[in-house]
Parts: sequence; structure tokens; C-alpha cells
Amino acid sequence: MPDEKMIVEISCFEVWRRISDYVDDDVESDLKARLTYHFARCKDCKALLDGTRNVVALMGDEQTFELPAGASQRITASLEQRIAADHEAAG
Amino acid sequence: MIDEYPNRELIESGQEDALIGQSVSPLAQVPASSPPTGGRATDVTHRSHTPGTPGEEAVRNELVLIERILAGEKELFMELVRPYQKVVYSMAVSIVKSDNDAEDISQEALFKAFKNLSQFRGECKFSTWIIQITLNEARHRIRKKQRAAENSMDGGFENEEGDYVPIDLADWREIPSETLQRKELRNALHQAISDLKPIYRDVLVLRDIQHLSVAETSGLLTISEASVKTRLLRARLQVRDALAPGFDGCWNSGSTSYRRVRPF
Repeated sequence: MPDEKMIVEISCFEVWRRISDYVDDDVESDLKARLTYHFARCKDCKALLDGTRNVVALMGDEQTFELPAGASQRITASLEQRIAADHEAAG
Repeated sequence: MIDEYPNRELIESGQEDALIGQSVSPLAQVPASSPPTGGRATDVTHRSHTPGTPGEEAVRNELVLIERILAGEKELFMELVRPYQKVVYSMAVSIVKSDNDAEDISQEALFKAFKNLSQFRGECKFSTWIIQITLNEARHRIRKKQRAAENSMDGGFENEEGDYVPIDLADWREIPSETLQRKELRNALHQAISDLKPIYRDVLVLRDIQHLSVAETSGLLTISEASVKTRLLRARLQVRDALAPGFDGCWNSGSTSYRRVRPF
């Protein structure tokens, strides 16, 4: 972490442009320091950051898009049937 | 490695079903020298684990299985794709929202994978190949249902410089994992994703649900890595806009003072 006195402050607009990259830890180190500095002092941008992280966490959670009960068996059964039919058709 | 995404042949060979909805952008030329995935700082934070992604040995087994299937042991196909059912289904349901449609798409995509297996040459991950087929299938379904771009909405708005401006700056902190059990939150998330314009939705789904890297997403959608990042930013913020304020009805619009806005 660079000396805070050396950090050039950036605007909320600039923060919003890079907030997703920040969440992915995909920002250059000096910009990262500026963003971190900004988030520590701007509660609005911090709220946006938390919300963005929540979206990523929700989307990435296996429970969010899990297979409904019985779906796996139905998909397997249908696929087996179609492959068998295809096999017969192909001779 | 000339083409990391050999399934593009399937797309370019005019096989309509696999092609439907493929968006072509002026930035569509993927650099053939896209960096290999996995080693970037981008991907180490929350992408270290991709559900259903096999290790090296499993990949070798997979290639052996594929050879045997192509040589005629077609019944082995089920064994090959069993680990990917969740991947395929989550891909489908995140795009079409309806469980029934997602199931149909999963079946169709897996059958297409079977029919086109000879076109897979192991130059990209098998999971990536399957994901692309599923994406195309889901797009095809959406097109058939005529739920195209005109029905989708924009979340925030752009200022004159084209920057994204969030709808609100409501506070939305930790999500306790038990809230995922709540169907309403999942439904709201599905709704928010399906309200996105397809160009944003596709990037969001590939990056944040399927955990593909920026490079893989760029290759699969044939857009630049810079576009992947800007679209992902937009998509995440729009979904946040849709979920953060007043999900539980206690959003106090028209006022600058926010009440408790977390949905729990």
C-alpha cells in the first residue's frame, strides 16, 4: 500500500468505470490503491462495491441455478433414447 | 494453436441451429494469440474452483472416452456428459429463466454435442465447447419465442460520455448464505438476468455463472477482451440495480434517505 499522501484522489465516476475490474482484482496496482482509498472514504461507492460483490457471489453460488428435482434423470433418459434412436437410424 | 474454439467450424459451416443468435461485433476478431487462461491475476480471486471442471487426468480420460464414442461406443456418451449436466442446465436456465425450457435446451444441447462430437478436437476445454453449444441453443429458443432485445430494458442510464450511472447508491452488504434458500431472491435474480440485453447477459452468464476467464469469454463470444470487461461491468451493475433497492418492499423511493434495503 503506497503512502496515502501520495495517492491521487479519483472521482466517483472513475470509480464506477473500474468497479467490476476491482472486484475481479484486475486493476493496475496504483489504481487499485486509489480505488481502495476511495472506497474507505466514500460510503456510496462502498455500497456499490458491496452490491456488485453480492451479485457476483449470488451468480456464482451453485444453489442459485441448481437442477430441479428429477431433471437430471429426465435429461439422461431422453438423451439415451435419442442416441439409441440415432444409432438405429444410422444402421 | 490456431483456433482455440474449434466449434466455430460448426458455426461457420452453416449449421443453423448452432448458429442462431451469434452476435457479430465490429470487434469480433479474436486475436489468435489470446493469452492462455488460468494464469491471470483476474482469475485467482474467486474463480479458482469451477464446478464440474475436471483435472488433468480426467481430461485425458475424457479424450479417451471421446475417441471410443467416435469409434462406435455411443453408449459411453452418457458417461462423458454426466459431469456437465449442471453446467449445461445452469447455462440454459440463466438465459431462458423457465425450468421447462431450460430442461429442453439441456437435452437438445447435449444431443447436439453428441451429433457433433467429431468436431471437438480438444483444442479448448470440453466444458467450454458444451457451454457454447448450450448458449447457441438457448439463443435459438429465445428467438423462437420472439423474446428478443426489444423486450429487454436498460437499468441505469448513460451520461453524455457514455458512463454508467447507477440508479441508486443503496447500501447492500453481506448476503447470508441461507437467503439463497429463499426462492424470491433466486427468482428476482433470474428476472434481473433475463431483463438484461443479450450482449450483457451472455458475458455475465459466462463469466459469473460458468466462471470462464476473460480470454475464454472473449473467444467464445468473438468479442475483444476489453468488450468483455465493459459489458461485464454494465451487466453486474444493472443486476445490482435490480436487486439492491427495495427487493423486500422497504425501498423508499423519492427520498434521499434510504431505509434498510437489504432483502433480509
